[in-house]
Amino acid sequence: MAMNTGAELPGPGTGAGGAEEPVDDERLACGRLLSEVWESREDGADDPHVRACPYCSAAVRQLDLLGAAVREAGGGREQEWDAGALTERVMDVVRLELRPGRPLPLGEREEDLWVREAMAAKALRAAAETVPGVRAGSCRIRPAESGGSPARGPVRVRLEVVVPLTPPLRDVAEEVRRRVAGAADEALGLPVADVDVHITDVTDPAGSDETERTHTTREARGVRVARGVQDAQDAEEGNQS
Amino acid sequence: MPGDDGLLAVRAAEGDEDAFEVLVRRHAPGLLRLAASMLGSPSEAEDAVQDAFVSAWRRLPEFRGQSAFTTWMHRIVANRCLNMLRSRRPVTDLDSVPEPEAPDHAVSPARAAESHAAAVALGRSLSELSPEQRVCWVLRELEGQSYETIAETVGISPEAARGRVFRARRSLTEAMTAWR
Repeated sequence: MAMNTGAELPGPGTGAGGAEEPVDDERLACGRLLSEVWESREDGADDPHVRACPYCSAAVRQLDLLGAAVREAGGGREQEWDAGALTERVMDVVRLELRPGRPLPLGEREEDLWVREAMAAKALRAAAETVPGVRAGSCRIRPAESGGSPARGPVRVRLEVVVPLTPPLRDVAEEVRRRVAGAADEALGLPVADVDVHITDVTDPAGSDETERTHTTREARGVRVARGVQDAQDAEEGNQS
Repeated sequence: MPGDDGLLAVRAAEGDEDAFEVLVRRHAPGLLRLAASMLGSPSEAEDAVQDAFVSAWRRLPEFRGQSAFTTWMHRIVANRCLNMLRSRRPVTDLDSVPEPEAPDHAVSPARAAESHAAAVALGRSLSELSPEQRVCWVLRELEGQSYETIAETVGISPEAARGRVFRARRSLTEAMTAWR
């Protein structure tokens, strides 16, 4: 290097990074560590010493030169990747690899029809999303009563949704619950004891600021909307006993 | 709408292939770019990203969303590339120098030749870095990640990440200076 003084001092580490990289760092003739000079350049710090010092300036120029070369070579990075073919290949593997899923009973107790939980969940999420603005996340379906292996009998659905902020949340949740229960019953023939709708987040209808909250509040905040659920449950139990 | 990555990841974890497909389609281009920078070879990059997604599908049930899906994928791809670089023959093979992409962007021929030469020089210098340095440098310089994120991605301390990027830069500036 042009400004290499040949002095590879272990350096006491005057800067933040100084202490960790004594072996490969280099002390410039002006006394500054190369790592510090580069770091302040990277941070965009305006250091009067660096501007005036020929050693520091040379070091900064070299870093800039590298930056320019990276940008020039950037052509490859602008390349338009055809993700389509790759997506196909990945999905071919994925679709062959069925996860072992919980089987759920379809139809009457004495029947022997089953559906995989993942399949049923897909249908129920789709039903929830027929309510305008609603996005469905986790959908867990479990036998409502234990016993039997695998148990036949009605199931309990626990569905997480993100809903738009506008109408009363309870009404939206209730509508989701109604459609999910309807789809389970009519489309799938899956007897449902109970649908828990958990609102994990709300989206601003203006559409601006949902991005991070959707994720961070998923587990932190769970609004359980259970109105009507208890009634349905009681009715189901009444039917069975 | 990348904001629903978390939602889609949860669905994919519960076996919803369609949700996973949306994620793959959405994130493949960025991850291919990342892997190509790390490996210097478009075809190897495709292998790395494909394997990473298949592995992600298998591991999704363990993905509890502590980090964003894209961060998680970056980590899987970076580690896959690291392993591929490590398993290369220790002899620096000139084959790993990136094939210059056809300069189909509108620049003057002289400038294209210059860029081309710089790209080749840079590619060659990159292939001489240690796998660890190269991966950290790409994450910092090309992906613009913070040292904390790099540390998390690669599984080292932020100080070690800083040190690797610094050493990579030193090797590269020396190589580029020699080239000029």
